[in-house]
Amino acid sequence: MKIHSLILGILAAGCVIGFTLTPRAGAVVNDEDFSSLKDLVTKQGRRIDQLEQTHEQDQKTHEQDQQQIQQLKQQLGETHAVATNATQKAEEVARVQSAYPVVSGAMSAMHNFTMVGDAEVQFGKAAGQHGSFVLADFAPIFLFRASDNVLFEAGFDVTLQNGSQPGGGSATHVDLSFAQLDYLFNDYVTVVAGDMVLPLGTYSERAAGWLNKIPDDPFSRDFLPGSGVGVQLRGAIPVGQSGQMVTYSVYGVNGPSSIDTNGIAGNLDLGGNVGDTGNWHANPSGGGRIGWFYPWQAHYDLELGVSGQTGVWDNAGRRSWSAGVLDAALHISPYFEAKGEYIYTMQETDDMGTIHPQGWWVQAGYKLAGLNLEIPRISNVELVSRYDTMHDALGTKTDRATVGFVYYISNTLLFEGDYEFLHSRGPNALPSNAFVLQLSYGL
Amino acid sequence: MKRLTSFKLGLREGVRLVAVTAVIYAAFIAFATGADTKAEDAKSADTKAADSKAADAKPAKKAGKKKLTGAELYAIHCNRCHAERYATEFTPGQWKTLMTHMRVRANLPAAQAKLILKYLQEDSGN
Ligand code: HEC
Repeated sequence: MKIHSLILGILAAGCVIGFTLTPRAGAVVNDEDFSSLKDLVTKQGRRIDQLEQTHEQDQKTHEQDQQQIQQLKQQLGETHAVATNATQKAEEVARVQSAYPVVSGAMSAMHNFTMVGDAEVQFGKAAGQHGSFVLADFAPIFLFRASDNVLFEAGFDVTLQNGSQPGGGSATHVDLSFAQLDYLFNDYVTVVAGDMVLPLGTYSERAAGWLNKIPDDPFSRDFLPGSGVGVQLRGAIPVGQSGQMVTYSVYGVNGPSSIDTNGIAGNLDLGGNVGDTGNWHANPSGGGRIGWFYPWQAHYDLELGVSGQTGVWDNAGRRSWSAGVLDAALHISPYFEAKGEYIYTMQETDDMGTIHPQGWWVQAGYKLAGLNLEIPRISNVELVSRYDTMHDALGTKTDRATVGFVYYISNTLLFEGDYEFLHSRGPNALPSNAFVLQLSYGL
Repeated sequence: MKRLTSFKLGLREGVRLVAVTAVIYAAFIAFATGADTKAEDAKSADTKAADSKAADAKPAKKAGKKKLTGAELYAIHCNRCHAERYATEFTPGQWKTLMTHMRVRANLPAAQAKLILKYLQEDSGN
Protein backbone atom coordinates (compact mmCIF):
# COMPACT_ATOMS: atom_id res chain seq x y z
CA MET A 1 0.00 0.00 0.00
CA LYS A 2 2.79 2.16 0.94
CA ILE A 3 4.52 1.64 -2.37
CA HIS A 4 1.31 2.32 -4.31
CA SER A 5 0.73 5.51 -2.51
CA LEU A 6 4.38 6.41 -3.08
CA ILE A 7 4.05 5.75 -6.82
CA LEU A 8 0.79 7.67 -6.88
CA GLY A 9 2.46 10.47 -5.06
CA ILE A 10 5.37 10.55 -7.52
CA LEU A 11 2.95 10.47 -10.43
CA ALA A 12 0.97 13.29 -8.94
CA ALA A 13 4.11 15.23 -8.31
CA GLY A 14 5.19 14.47 -11.85
CA CYS A 15 1.89 15.79 -13.14
CA VAL A 16 2.21 18.92 -11.13
CA ILE A 17 5.75 19.43 -12.35
CA GLY A 18 4.62 18.54 -15.82
CA PHE A 19 1.90 21.10 -15.74
CA THR A 20 4.05 23.76 -14.34
CA LEU A 21 7.00 22.99 -16.59
CA THR A 22 5.16 22.46 -19.88
CA PRO A 23 4.36 26.10 -20.56
CA ARG A 24 8.08 26.88 -20.10
CA ALA A 25 9.11 24.27 -22.62
CA GLY A 26 6.53 25.77 -25.05
CA ALA A 27 8.23 29.07 -24.55
CA VAL A 28 11.66 27.63 -25.66
CA VAL A 29 10.63 26.06 -29.16
CA ASN A 30 7.84 28.16 -30.57
CA ASP A 31 5.95 27.61 -33.87
CA GLU A 32 7.97 30.05 -35.82
CA ASP A 33 11.26 28.42 -34.99
CA PHE A 34 9.82 25.06 -35.76
CA SER A 35 8.50 26.02 -39.15
CA SER A 36 11.77 27.70 -40.10
CA LEU A 37 13.63 24.58 -39.07
CA LYS A 38 11.20 22.54 -41.11
CA ASP A 39 11.82 24.82 -44.08
CA LEU A 40 15.51 24.42 -43.68
CA VAL A 41 15.24 20.66 -43.65
CA THR A 42 12.96 20.67 -46.70
CA LYS A 43 15.38 22.94 -48.56
CA GLN A 44 18.33 20.76 -47.71
CA GLY A 45 16.39 17.76 -48.88
CA ARG A 46 15.80 19.47 -52.20
CA ARG A 47 19.44 20.42 -52.45
CA ILE A 48 20.43 16.84 -51.94
CA ASP A 49 17.99 15.82 -54.65
CA GLN A 50 19.54 18.37 -57.02
CA LEU A 51 23.06 17.24 -56.19
CA GLU A 52 22.08 13.68 -56.84
CA GLN A 53 20.66 14.67 -60.20
CA THR A 54 23.82 16.61 -61.12
CA HIS A 55 25.91 13.68 -60.09
CA GLU A 56 23.86 11.39 -62.29
CA GLN A 57 24.31 13.77 -65.20
CA ASP A 58 28.05 13.96 -64.57
CA GLN A 59 28.23 10.24 -64.57
CA LYS A 60 26.40 10.10 -67.89
CA THR A 61 28.77 12.69 -69.40
CA HIS A 62 31.71 10.74 -68.13
CA GLU A 63 30.37 7.58 -69.74
CA GLN A 64 29.88 9.44 -73.02
CA ASP A 65 33.44 10.79 -72.79
CA GLN A 66 34.74 7.34 -72.22
CA GLN A 67 32.86 6.13 -75.27
CA GLN A 68 34.23 8.96 -77.38
CA ILE A 69 37.75 8.30 -76.21
CA GLN A 70 37.28 4.68 -77.19
CA GLN A 71 36.02 5.71 -80.62
CA LEU A 72 38.93 8.13 -81.12
CA LYS A 73 41.36 5.45 -80.06
CA GLN A 74 39.86 3.17 -82.63
CA GLN A 75 40.00 5.85 -85.35
CA LEU A 76 43.60 6.66 -84.51
CA GLY A 77 44.44 3.02 -84.86
CA GLU A 78 42.78 2.93 -88.26
CA THR A 79 44.58 6.10 -89.44
CA HIS A 80 47.84 4.69 -88.29
CA ALA A 81 47.12 1.53 -90.21
CA VAL A 82 46.29 3.55 -93.36
CA ALA A 83 49.47 5.58 -93.00
CA THR A 84 51.54 2.48 -92.49
CA ASN A 85 49.93 0.94 -95.55
CA ALA A 86 50.60 4.07 -97.58
CA THR A 87 54.22 4.14 -96.53
CA GLN A 88 54.53 0.47 -97.33
CA LYS A 89 52.92 1.02 -100.71
CA ALA A 90 55.12 4.04 -101.44
CA GLU A 91 58.14 2.04 -100.47
CA GLU A 92 57.00 -0.79 -102.72
CA VAL A 93 56.53 1.66 -105.61
CA ALA A 94 59.92 3.17 -104.90
CA ARG A 95 61.45 -0.29 -104.85
CA VAL A 96 59.83 -1.07 -108.19
CA GLN A 97 61.31 2.12 -109.69
CA SER A 98 64.60 1.98 -107.89
CA ALA A 99 66.54 1.89 -111.15
CA TYR A 100 66.72 5.68 -110.55
CA PRO A 101 67.50 7.53 -107.34
CA VAL A 102 64.20 8.42 -105.67
CA VAL A 103 63.75 12.11 -105.02
CA SER A 104 61.50 12.94 -102.08
CA GLY A 105 58.26 14.78 -102.83
CA ALA A 106 59.44 18.08 -101.37
CA MET A 107 62.43 18.11 -103.67
CA SER A 108 60.96 17.05 -106.98
CA ALA A 109 61.52 19.35 -109.92
CA MET A 110 57.89 20.11 -110.65
CA HIS A 111 57.36 21.34 -107.13
CA ASN A 112 60.08 23.85 -107.63
CA PHE A 113 59.25 25.23 -111.00
CA THR A 114 59.40 28.99 -111.09
CA MET A 115 58.92 31.30 -114.01
CA VAL A 116 60.41 34.77 -114.00
CA GLY A 117 61.69 36.98 -116.79
CA ASP A 118 60.57 40.25 -118.28
CA ALA A 119 58.48 41.99 -120.90
CA GLU A 120 59.03 45.20 -122.83
CA VAL A 121 57.29 47.50 -125.24
CA GLN A 122 59.43 49.99 -127.08
CA PHE A 123 58.49 53.11 -128.95
CA GLY A 124 61.11 54.69 -131.17
CA LYS A 125 61.51 57.71 -133.36
CA ALA A 126 64.58 58.36 -135.46
CA ALA A 127 65.24 61.84 -136.80
CA GLY A 128 63.34 62.41 -140.04
CA GLN A 129 61.15 59.36 -139.56
CA HIS A 130 57.77 58.72 -138.05
CA GLY A 131 57.70 57.39 -134.57
CA SER A 132 56.30 53.93 -134.02
CA PHE A 133 56.13 51.03 -131.67
CA VAL A 134 59.27 49.29 -132.79
CA LEU A 135 59.50 46.35 -130.48
CA ALA A 136 57.49 44.14 -128.21
CA ASP A 137 59.45 41.62 -126.24
CA PHE A 138 58.51 38.83 -123.89
CA ALA A 139 61.44 37.09 -122.27
CA PRO A 140 60.40 34.32 -119.90
CA ILE A 141 62.94 32.49 -117.78
CA PHE A 142 62.08 28.99 -116.62
CA LEU A 143 63.76 27.71 -113.50
CA PHE A 144 63.50 24.07 -112.41
CA ARG A 145 65.19 23.22 -109.14
CA ALA A 146 65.66 19.49 -109.19
CA SER A 147 67.35 19.27 -105.79
CA ASP A 148 69.27 21.43 -103.35
CA ASN A 149 72.18 21.62 -105.73
CA VAL A 150 70.79 21.15 -109.22
CA LEU A 151 69.05 23.90 -111.15
CA PHE A 152 67.99 23.95 -114.76
CA GLU A 153 67.41 27.38 -116.23
CA ALA A 154 66.29 28.41 -119.68
CA GLY A 155 65.63 31.90 -120.99
CA PHE A 156 63.73 32.69 -124.17
CA ASP A 157 63.24 35.91 -126.02
CA VAL A 158 60.08 36.29 -128.05
CA THR A 159 60.25 39.56 -129.97
CA LEU A 160 58.08 41.30 -132.44
CA GLN A 161 60.17 43.80 -134.33
CA ASN A 162 58.50 46.39 -136.47
CA GLY A 163 60.04 47.56 -139.74
CA SER A 164 62.68 44.87 -139.59
CA GLN A 165 61.65 43.45 -142.96
CA PRO A 166 62.77 45.01 -146.22
CA GLY A 167 59.77 46.88 -147.60
CA GLY A 168 58.09 47.19 -144.22
CA GLY A 169 56.17 44.80 -142.05
CA SER A 170 57.15 43.18 -138.82
CA ALA A 171 58.82 39.95 -137.85
CA THR A 172 58.46 37.74 -134.82
CA HIS A 173 61.48 35.91 -133.49
CA VAL A 174 61.87 33.32 -130.81
CA ASP A 175 65.42 33.09 -129.53
CA LEU A 176 66.94 30.92 -126.90
CA SER A 177 68.97 33.23 -124.70
CA PHE A 178 70.35 30.43 -122.56
CA ALA A 179 69.55 26.90 -121.49
CA GLN A 180 71.89 25.63 -118.85
CA LEU A 181 72.19 23.10 -116.09
CA ASP A 182 73.83 24.34 -112.88
CA TYR A 183 75.31 21.85 -110.47
CA LEU A 184 76.46 23.30 -107.17
CA PHE A 185 79.39 20.97 -106.74
CA ASN A 186 80.58 22.50 -103.47
CA ASP A 187 80.79 25.90 -101.77
CA TYR A 188 83.43 27.10 -104.19
CA VAL A 189 82.68 25.39 -107.49
CA THR A 190 79.53 25.36 -109.59
CA VAL A 191 79.54 23.34 -112.78
CA VAL A 192 77.46 24.83 -115.59
CA ALA A 193 76.73 23.08 -118.86
CA GLY A 194 74.64 23.91 -121.89
CA ASP A 195 73.99 27.11 -123.79
CA MET A 196 75.40 29.64 -121.36
CA VAL A 197 75.46 33.42 -121.14
CA LEU A 198 79.19 34.11 -121.32
CA PRO A 199 81.08 36.01 -118.63
CA LEU A 200 82.79 38.30 -121.13
CA GLY A 201 82.55 41.53 -119.25
CA THR A 202 79.36 41.76 -117.23
CA TYR A 203 76.84 43.30 -119.60
CA SER A 204 75.29 40.09 -120.98
CA GLU A 205 75.21 38.34 -117.65
CA ARG A 206 73.51 41.32 -116.06
CA ALA A 207 71.01 42.18 -118.72
CA ALA A 208 67.23 42.04 -118.76
CA GLY A 209 64.63 44.57 -119.77
CA TRP A 210 63.81 45.51 -116.19
CA LEU A 211 67.39 46.00 -115.13
CA ASN A 212 68.95 47.73 -118.12
CA LYS A 213 68.61 51.42 -117.50
CA ILE A 214 68.90 52.20 -121.21
CA PRO A 215 66.89 50.12 -123.72
CA ASP A 216 69.63 49.80 -126.35
CA ASP A 217 72.79 47.78 -125.78
CA PRO A 218 76.17 49.49 -126.20
CA PHE A 219 77.32 49.02 -129.81
CA SER A 220 80.60 47.46 -128.79
CA ARG A 221 78.75 44.48 -127.28
CA ASP A 222 78.19 43.38 -130.89
CA PHE A 223 81.87 42.43 -131.02
CA LEU A 224 81.30 39.71 -128.40
CA PRO A 225 79.24 36.54 -128.44
CA GLY A 226 76.32 36.68 -126.01
CA SER A 227 76.23 32.98 -125.27
CA GLY A 228 78.11 29.82 -126.05
CA VAL A 229 77.56 26.07 -125.92
CA GLY A 230 79.92 24.26 -123.60
CA VAL A 231 80.93 23.77 -119.98
CA GLN A 232 81.86 26.27 -117.32
CA LEU A 233 83.18 26.23 -113.76
CA ARG A 234 82.39 29.25 -111.62
CA GLY A 235 82.27 30.37 -108.05
CA ALA A 236 83.43 32.83 -105.45
CA ILE A 237 86.01 32.90 -102.71
CA PRO A 238 85.15 35.25 -99.85
CA VAL A 239 88.00 37.37 -98.53
CA GLY A 240 87.67 38.24 -94.84
CA GLN A 241 84.35 38.93 -93.15
CA SER A 242 83.38 42.22 -94.75
CA GLY A 243 81.81 40.87 -97.92
CA GLN A 244 84.88 41.25 -100.06
CA MET A 245 85.33 38.41 -102.56
CA VAL A 246 87.13 37.16 -105.61
CA THR A 247 84.92 35.61 -108.26
CA TYR A 248 85.93 33.40 -111.14
CA SER A 249 84.44 31.75 -114.21
CA VAL A 250 86.32 29.53 -116.65
CA TYR A 251 84.77 27.87 -119.64
CA GLY A 252 85.21 25.95 -122.85
CA VAL A 253 82.68 26.54 -125.63
CA ASN A 254 82.32 25.74 -129.29
CA GLY A 255 83.28 29.32 -130.06
CA PRO A 256 82.71 31.49 -133.11
CA SER A 257 82.68 30.23 -136.66
CA SER A 258 82.64 31.42 -140.23
CA ILE A 259 79.36 31.85 -142.07
CA ASP A 260 81.17 30.64 -145.16
CA THR A 261 83.79 28.22 -143.78
CA ASN A 262 86.67 30.49 -144.86
CA GLY A 263 88.52 33.21 -142.98
CA ILE A 264 87.28 36.33 -144.84
CA ALA A 265 87.02 39.20 -142.34
CA GLY A 266 83.30 39.90 -142.74
CA ASN A 267 82.35 36.24 -142.36
CA LEU A 268 82.89 35.94 -138.62
CA ASP A 269 79.81 34.47 -136.96
CA LEU A 270 80.11 35.02 -133.22
CA GLY A 271 76.97 33.12 -132.38
CA GLY A 272 77.88 30.26 -134.67
CA ASN A 273 79.42 26.86 -134.31
CA VAL A 274 76.63 25.30 -132.35
CA GLY A 275 76.54 22.12 -134.40
CA ASP A 276 75.53 23.11 -137.90
CA THR A 277 77.77 20.73 -139.85
CA GLY A 278 77.97 23.21 -142.73
CA ASN A 279 80.23 25.52 -140.75
CA TRP A 280 81.39 23.37 -137.95
CA HIS A 281 84.95 23.09 -136.84
CA ALA A 282 86.33 20.88 -134.14
CA ASN A 283 88.33 23.48 -132.26
CA PRO A 284 86.68 24.76 -129.13
CA SER A 285 87.41 28.16 -127.60
CA GLY A 286 88.40 28.80 -124.01
CA GLY A 287 87.73 31.78 -121.83
CA GLY A 288 87.02 33.12 -118.40
CA ARG A 289 86.69 36.05 -116.05
CA ILE A 290 88.25 37.00 -112.74
CA GLY A 291 86.50 39.61 -110.68
CA TRP A 292 87.19 41.43 -107.45
CA PHE A 293 84.28 42.78 -105.45
CA TYR A 294 84.90 45.15 -102.58
CA PRO A 295 82.02 46.56 -100.51
CA TRP A 296 83.04 48.96 -97.77
CA GLN A 297 79.47 49.42 -96.62
CA ALA A 298 76.09 48.32 -97.97
CA HIS A 299 75.46 50.21 -101.23
CA TYR A 300 79.05 51.37 -101.38
CA ASP A 301 81.14 49.03 -103.47
CA LEU A 302 83.60 48.66 -106.29
CA GLU A 303 83.90 45.74 -108.66
CA LEU A 304 86.64 45.21 -111.21
CA GLY A 305 86.87 42.38 -113.70
CA VAL A 306 89.13 41.05 -116.43
CA SER A 307 87.82 38.54 -118.93
CA GLY A 308 88.70 37.04 -122.26
CA GLN A 309 88.17 34.29 -124.76
CA THR A 310 90.32 32.79 -127.46
CA GLY A 311 90.04 30.14 -130.18
CA VAL A 312 89.92 29.65 -133.93
CA TRP A 313 86.93 30.59 -136.05
CA ASP A 314 87.51 29.40 -139.64
CA ASN A 315 86.98 25.79 -140.65
CA ALA A 316 90.62 25.25 -141.52
CA GLY A 317 91.50 26.15 -137.96
CA ARG A 318 94.12 28.69 -139.04
CA ARG A 319 92.50 31.98 -138.04
CA SER A 320 92.05 32.85 -134.42
CA TRP A 321 89.54 35.12 -132.75
CA SER A 322 90.25 36.50 -129.29
CA ALA A 323 88.63 39.04 -127.04
CA GLY A 324 89.70 40.87 -123.90
CA VAL A 325 87.31 42.84 -121.72
CA LEU A 326 87.84 45.06 -118.69
CA ASP A 327 84.79 45.87 -116.63
CA ALA A 328 84.15 48.08 -113.64
CA ALA A 329 81.15 48.99 -111.52
CA LEU A 330 80.95 51.48 -108.68
CA HIS A 331 78.18 52.24 -106.22
CA ILE A 332 78.30 55.22 -103.93
CA SER A 333 75.15 55.27 -101.80
CA PRO A 334 71.93 53.57 -102.92
CA TYR A 335 71.54 56.40 -105.43
CA PHE A 336 74.66 56.62 -107.54
CA GLU A 337 76.02 54.01 -109.89
CA ALA A 338 78.71 54.13 -112.55
CA LYS A 339 79.81 51.25 -114.71
CA GLY A 340 81.54 50.54 -117.94
CA GLU A 341 83.47 48.14 -120.12
CA TYR A 342 86.38 48.26 -122.45
CA ILE A 343 86.19 45.66 -125.21
CA TYR A 344 89.08 44.74 -127.44
CA THR A 345 88.99 41.93 -129.99
CA MET A 346 91.55 40.45 -132.31
CA GLN A 347 90.51 38.66 -135.46
CA GLU A 348 92.94 36.99 -137.84
CA THR A 349 91.58 37.02 -141.37
CA ASP A 350 92.41 35.61 -144.82
CA ASP A 351 92.01 38.95 -146.51
CA MET A 352 92.84 41.79 -144.08
CA GLY A 353 95.51 40.41 -141.81
CA THR A 354 94.73 40.87 -138.15
CA ILE A 355 91.99 43.37 -137.35
CA HIS A 356 90.93 44.81 -134.01
CA PRO A 357 87.23 45.63 -133.65
CA GLN A 358 86.93 47.45 -130.35
CA GLY A 359 84.96 49.87 -128.27
CA TRP A 360 83.98 50.97 -124.80
CA TRP A 361 81.13 52.42 -122.86
CA VAL A 362 80.53 54.16 -119.55
CA GLN A 363 77.20 54.69 -117.93
CA ALA A 364 76.16 56.65 -114.87
CA GLY A 365 72.88 56.80 -113.05
CA TYR A 366 71.61 58.89 -110.19
CA LYS A 367 68.37 58.27 -108.32
CA LEU A 368 66.74 61.54 -107.36
CA ALA A 369 65.50 59.95 -104.14
CA GLY A 370 69.00 60.79 -102.90
CA LEU A 371 68.16 64.49 -102.95
CA ASN A 372 65.39 64.05 -100.36
CA LEU A 373 63.42 66.68 -102.21
CA GLU A 374 60.04 65.55 -100.94
CA ILE A 375 58.63 66.56 -104.32
CA PRO A 376 55.91 64.20 -105.47
CA ARG A 377 57.14 61.51 -107.86
CA ILE A 378 60.62 62.93 -108.19
CA SER A 379 62.07 60.32 -105.87
CA ASN A 380 61.01 57.59 -108.30
CA VAL A 381 63.21 58.98 -111.04
CA GLU A 382 66.71 57.92 -111.94
CA LEU A 383 68.65 60.04 -114.40
CA VAL A 384 70.95 58.06 -116.66
CA SER A 385 73.50 58.81 -119.28
CA ARG A 386 75.90 56.73 -121.28
CA TYR A 387 78.63 57.28 -123.73
CA ASP A 388 79.55 54.43 -126.04
CA THR A 389 81.85 54.14 -128.94
CA MET A 390 82.85 51.44 -131.39
CA HIS A 391 85.21 50.92 -134.25
CA ASP A 392 84.46 47.81 -136.31
CA ALA A 393 87.89 47.74 -138.01
CA LEU A 394 86.11 47.47 -141.36
CA GLY A 395 85.91 51.22 -141.73
CA THR A 396 82.91 52.18 -139.61
CA LYS A 397 83.14 54.21 -136.42
CA THR A 398 80.23 55.20 -134.28
CA ASP A 399 79.98 57.35 -131.17
CA ARG A 400 76.81 57.74 -129.26
CA ALA A 401 75.79 59.76 -126.26
CA THR A 402 72.57 58.79 -124.59
CA VAL A 403 70.71 60.77 -121.97
CA GLY A 404 67.50 59.79 -120.34
CA PHE A 405 65.61 58.76 -117.29
CA VAL A 406 64.10 55.72 -115.65
CA TYR A 407 60.83 56.24 -113.84
CA TYR A 408 60.28 53.43 -111.34
CA ILE A 409 56.55 52.80 -111.21
CA SER A 410 57.51 49.93 -108.91
CA ASN A 411 60.77 48.11 -108.31
CA THR A 412 60.13 46.03 -111.44
CA LEU A 413 57.93 48.23 -113.59
CA LEU A 414 60.06 50.82 -115.31
CA PHE A 415 59.29 53.55 -117.77
CA GLU A 416 62.37 54.65 -119.64
CA GLY A 417 62.91 57.55 -122.00
CA ASP A 418 66.14 58.25 -123.82
CA TYR A 419 67.55 60.46 -126.47
CA GLU A 420 70.50 59.10 -128.43
CA PHE A 421 72.93 61.45 -130.12
CA LEU A 422 74.58 59.41 -132.79
CA HIS A 423 77.63 60.18 -134.79
CA SER A 424 78.45 57.43 -137.26
CA ARG A 425 80.70 57.36 -140.27
CA GLY A 426 81.93 54.69 -142.67
CA PRO A 427 80.44 52.13 -145.05
CA ASN A 428 78.10 50.72 -142.41
CA ALA A 429 77.23 54.04 -140.81
CA LEU A 430 74.13 53.99 -138.67
CA PRO A 431 71.16 56.31 -139.04
CA SER A 432 71.05 59.47 -137.00
CA ASN A 433 69.74 60.53 -133.60
CA ALA A 434 66.86 58.65 -132.16
CA PHE A 435 64.35 58.93 -129.40
CA VAL A 436 63.39 55.79 -127.53
CA LEU A 437 60.70 55.14 -124.95
CA GLN A 438 60.35 51.82 -123.23
CA LEU A 439 58.09 50.23 -120.69
CA SER A 440 59.72 47.26 -118.98
CA TYR A 441 58.36 44.81 -116.50
CA GLY A 442 60.23 42.21 -114.48
CA LEU A 443 58.04 39.22 -113.64
CA MET B 1 92.80 68.16 -139.34
CA LYS B 2 90.42 65.26 -139.28
CA ARG B 3 90.76 65.23 -135.51
CA LEU B 4 89.93 68.89 -135.36
CA THR B 5 86.69 68.48 -137.29
CA SER B 6 85.66 65.55 -135.21
CA PHE B 7 86.50 67.54 -132.10
CA LYS B 8 84.35 70.43 -133.31
CA LEU B 9 81.52 68.06 -134.05
CA GLY B 10 81.96 66.59 -130.63
CA LEU B 11 81.73 70.00 -129.06
CA ARG B 12 78.60 70.94 -130.98
CA GLU B 13 77.09 67.60 -130.12
CA GLY B 14 78.04 68.19 -126.53
CA VAL B 15 76.38 71.56 -126.31
CA ARG B 16 73.23 70.15 -127.87
CA LEU B 17 73.41 67.23 -125.53
CA VAL B 18 73.51 69.46 -122.47
CA ALA B 19 70.70 71.65 -123.82
CA VAL B 20 68.42 68.76 -124.70
CA THR B 21 69.15 67.02 -121.41
CA ALA B 22 68.23 70.14 -119.52
CA VAL B 23 64.97 70.46 -121.47
CA ILE B 24 64.05 66.82 -121.00
CA TYR B 25 64.78 66.93 -117.30
CA ALA B 26 62.98 70.22 -116.83
CA ALA B 27 59.93 68.88 -118.66
CA PHE B 28 60.01 65.78 -116.59
CA ILE B 29 60.33 67.60 -113.32
CA ALA B 30 57.43 69.82 -114.35
CA PHE B 31 55.34 66.73 -115.10
CA ALA B 32 56.35 65.07 -111.91
CA THR B 33 55.72 68.04 -109.63
CA GLY B 34 52.35 68.68 -111.22
CA ALA B 35 51.24 65.16 -110.49
CA ASP B 36 49.02 64.15 -107.64
CA THR B 37 50.57 63.43 -104.28
CA LYS B 38 48.61 60.33 -103.41
CA ALA B 39 50.64 57.85 -105.41
CA GLU B 40 53.77 59.51 -104.16
CA ASP B 41 52.90 58.88 -100.55
CA ALA B 42 52.69 55.17 -101.13
CA LYS B 43 55.82 55.33 -103.23
CA SER B 44 57.93 57.28 -100.83
CA ALA B 45 56.90 54.88 -98.11
CA ASP B 46 58.48 52.21 -100.28
CA THR B 47 61.56 54.27 -100.76
CA LYS B 48 61.75 54.93 -97.04
CA ALA B 49 61.45 51.24 -96.35
CA ALA B 50 64.30 50.65 -98.73
CA ASP B 51 66.29 53.46 -97.12
CA SER B 52 65.78 52.17 -93.63
CA LYS B 53 66.86 48.76 -94.83
CA ALA B 54 69.94 50.40 -96.21
CA ALA B 55 70.46 52.21 -92.94
CA ASP B 56 70.33 49.13 -90.76
CA ALA B 57 72.93 47.49 -92.88
CA LYS B 58 76.23 49.16 -92.26
CA PRO B 59 78.67 46.29 -92.36
CA ALA B 60 82.30 46.17 -93.34
CA LYS B 61 84.59 48.44 -91.36
CA LYS B 62 81.94 49.57 -88.92
CA ALA B 63 81.01 46.05 -87.95
CA GLY B 64 84.66 45.19 -87.52
CA LYS B 65 85.22 41.47 -87.30
CA LYS B 66 81.55 40.74 -86.78
CA LYS B 67 80.01 38.37 -89.33
CA LEU B 68 77.59 39.93 -91.77
CA THR B 69 73.93 39.03 -91.28
CA GLY B 70 71.51 37.91 -93.99
CA ALA B 71 69.92 41.36 -93.99
CA GLU B 72 73.27 43.08 -94.42
CA LEU B 73 74.30 40.75 -97.21
CA TYR B 74 70.95 41.33 -98.90
CA ALA B 75 71.63 45.07 -98.75
CA ILE B 76 75.13 44.61 -100.13
CA HIS B 77 74.27 42.33 -103.05
CA CYS B 78 70.65 42.43 -104.06
CA ASN B 79 70.53 46.00 -105.22
CA ARG B 80 73.65 46.23 -107.32
CA CYS B 81 72.59 44.58 -110.59
CA HIS B 82 68.91 45.41 -110.42
CA ALA B 83 66.33 47.09 -108.24
CA GLU B 84 65.98 45.00 -105.09
CA ARG B 85 63.29 42.33 -105.05
CA TYR B 86 61.28 42.36 -101.85
CA ALA B 87 61.03 39.24 -99.71
CA THR B 88 57.25 39.34 -99.95
CA GLU B 89 57.29 39.00 -103.75
CA PHE B 90 57.96 35.25 -103.69
CA THR B 91 57.17 32.19 -101.58
CA PRO B 92 59.85 30.42 -99.51
CA GLY B 93 60.09 27.66 -102.16
CA GLN B 94 60.42 30.15 -104.99
CA TRP B 95 63.12 31.98 -103.06
CA LYS B 96 65.09 28.78 -102.73
CA THR B 97 65.02 28.36 -106.50
CA LEU B 98 65.70 32.04 -107.18
CA MET B 99 68.60 32.17 -104.75
CA THR B 100 70.19 29.19 -106.48
CA HIS B 101 69.75 31.07 -109.74
CA MET B 102 71.28 34.24 -108.28
CA ARG B 103 74.09 32.38 -106.54
CA VAL B 104 75.19 31.05 -109.92
CA ARG B 105 74.53 34.21 -111.91
CA ALA B 106 76.14 36.61 -109.44
CA ASN B 107 78.93 34.28 -108.25
CA LEU B 108 77.80 34.61 -104.63
CA PRO B 109 79.71 32.71 -101.95
CA ALA B 110 77.67 29.73 -100.75
CA ALA B 111 77.53 30.80 -97.10
CA GLN B 112 76.32 34.28 -98.06
CA ALA B 113 73.66 32.90 -100.39
CA LYS B 114 72.37 30.70 -97.55
CA LEU B 115 72.13 33.60 -95.10
CA ILE B 116 70.34 35.76 -97.65
CA LEU B 117 67.94 32.92 -98.43
CA LYS B 118 67.09 32.55 -94.75
CA TYR B 119 66.52 36.26 -94.44
CA LEU B 120 64.22 36.29 -97.49
CA GLN B 121 62.29 33.21 -96.42
CA GLU B 122 61.63 34.69 -93.04
CA ASP B 123 59.82 37.62 -94.57
CA SER B 124 58.53 35.86 -97.66
CA GLY B 125 55.09 36.03 -99.19
CA ASN B 126 52.82 33.04 -99.52
C1 HEC C 1 75.59 40.03 -110.62
C2 HEC C 1 74.33 40.67 -110.77
C3 HEC C 1 73.18 40.26 -109.86
C4 HEC C 1 73.16 40.25 -108.50
C5 HEC C 1 74.27 40.62 -107.53
C6 HEC C 1 71.82 39.83 -108.14
N1 HEC C 1 71.07 39.61 -109.25
FE1 HEC C 1 69.12 39.02 -109.30
N2 HEC C 1 69.19 38.99 -111.33
C7 HEC C 1 70.26 39.34 -112.11
C8 HEC C 1 69.90 39.24 -113.49
C9 HEC C 1 70.81 39.55 -114.67
C10 HEC C 1 68.55 38.82 -113.53
C11 HEC C 1 67.64 38.64 -114.74
C12 HEC C 1 68.06 37.66 -115.70
C13 HEC C 1 67.92 36.27 -115.22
O1 HEC C 1 67.12 36.01 -114.30
O2 HEC C 1 68.60 35.41 -115.75
C14 HEC C 1 68.14 38.66 -112.16
C15 HEC C 1 66.89 38.23 -111.79
C16 HEC C 1 66.46 38.15 -110.48
C17 HEC C 1 65.16 37.71 -110.10
C18 HEC C 1 64.12 37.18 -111.02
C19 HEC C 1 63.19 38.19 -111.50
C20 HEC C 1 62.96 38.21 -112.97
O3 HEC C 1 61.96 38.82 -113.35
O4 HEC C 1 63.75 37.67 -113.76
C21 HEC C 1 65.09 37.79 -108.74
C22 HEC C 1 63.90 37.46 -107.86
C23 HEC C 1 66.37 38.24 -108.28
N3 HEC C 1 67.19 38.46 -109.35
C24 HEC C 1 66.70 38.41 -106.96
C25 HEC C 1 67.99 38.72 -106.51
C26 HEC C 1 68.38 38.71 -105.13
C27 HEC C 1 67.48 38.39 -103.96
C28 HEC C 1 69.68 39.06 -105.09
C29 HEC C 1 70.58 39.15 -103.88
C30 HEC C 1 71.22 37.96 -103.52
C31 HEC C 1 70.11 39.28 -106.47
N4 HEC C 1 69.05 39.07 -107.30
C32 HEC C 1 71.41 39.67 -106.84
C33 HEC C 1 71.50 39.74 -111.67
C34 HEC C 1 71.87 39.86 -110.33
